[in-house]
Amino acid sequence: MFKRSDESLIAKALNGDQHAWQQLVNRHQSALFYFGLRLLGSKEDANDLLQDVLMVLCRNLGQYRGDSSFKSWLFGIANYRAMDMLRKRKYSDNDDALAELPDDAPELSQQLANNRQQQQVRKQLLTLPPEQRLVMELKFYQQFTFDEIAGQLAISGNTVKSRFYAALDKLRLQLEDDHVEQSANF
Amino acid sequence: MSNNQQIFEHWLEGKISAEHCASQLQHDPLWYGRLQNALALQADATIPQFAAIPTVDSSALFASQWQRPAPKRSWWPQVSLALSCAAMLVSLSPAQLRLQDGSLTLSWHNPKAEVEAAVSTALTAYQHQQQQWLAQQLDFQQQNTSSQLVLLKDYLQDELKRDQRSDMLQLVEYLNQQRQSDWQYWQENYQPMQAGYRPADSYYLTPTDSGVVKP
Repeated sequence: MFKRSDESLIAKALNGDQHAWQQLVNRHQSALFYFGLRLLGSKEDANDLLQDVLMVLCRNLGQYRGDSSFKSWLFGIANYRAMDMLRKRKYSDNDDALAELPDDAPELSQQLANNRQQQQVRKQLLTLPPEQRLVMELKFYQQFTFDEIAGQLAISGNTVKSRFYAALDKLRLQLEDDHVEQSANF
Repeated sequence: MSNNQQIFEHWLEGKISAEHCASQLQHDPLWYGRLQNALALQADATIPQFAAIPTVDSSALFASQWQRPAPKRSWWPQVSLALSCAAMLVSLSPAQLRLQDGSLTLSWHNPKAEVEAAVSTALTAYQHQQQQWLAQQLDFQQQNTSSQLVLLKDYLQDELKRDQRSDMLQLVEYLNQQRQSDWQYWQENYQPMQAGYRPADSYYLTPTDSGVVKP
């Protein structure tokens, strides 16, 4: 079936086409929701982020100029709002996210990942500083290039890579620690 | 950028396979560990998500932001336009609807012949009008010319009379002058001499009574 491009849907939506707007939302809302879920750690926060981003998107739809892909532009908004939420809730400064995880984690682990390794990856992503977590999310889960991430976050490509490798090193250490703990448990 | 980083980023960009990358990096624990973690994250990213996505009703927001109330359309302009088009069609079509003597007849006529006839009539009328105008102009021109000729003739006649009169006056004056000079000459030269030759009892009249009058 012929699939309309994001740009044509935007053009139609700007002319008041509700169906085009709904198509655009349906196309990207799952990516946005899972992005929030991984980044913020709870469904409620992910839902808040999704609503927030859609509201901002709706208000600023006319400002999309097509300089980058629509997904990249959209995640530029999502990144900003997510970081704003993380800063407000001080996820980076305390262990609230980790404290909340046990409520969501079993459910998430049952629904989203079926093996222990995947659960560990999700948990450890939440322990990373928000800036590094965001870079990992954008690189691995949203498949953006380093240049696209740099554009979205308005930082240099070298800074993006620096955060990326620092996060990989932390995950490595933590994974090793987890492996050690797991081995100790056995 | 180190060689290992280059290899790692080539794998990230999909230029080389994971196995190839791993074989290249296996001697460097740092980069090999990074690769393992990246593989774990990549594997996690490929696992489909099953968490229910909440329904977000953004239609009201969209409607308030981008949808404008449909403008109220008045049908009168369209009706007016349609009637105008119909009138044009009726006037241009060869069909003629006639109501005559209580009967309505629909007839077809040839608009081309009518137009040609109308054009011919108009041309004839124009030609006649032009001819009349031309004749009128010629008549007027002739009248004008003849009146000017009459005036010229009168003028020439007057001038001729005036010249003749002037010439005659000059001639008379000349003659009078000649006569006076002749008389003076006669009186000065011949009268004394005549008086000397004439006897006193001459029957000739004295010079004063000679009958010659000084002019």
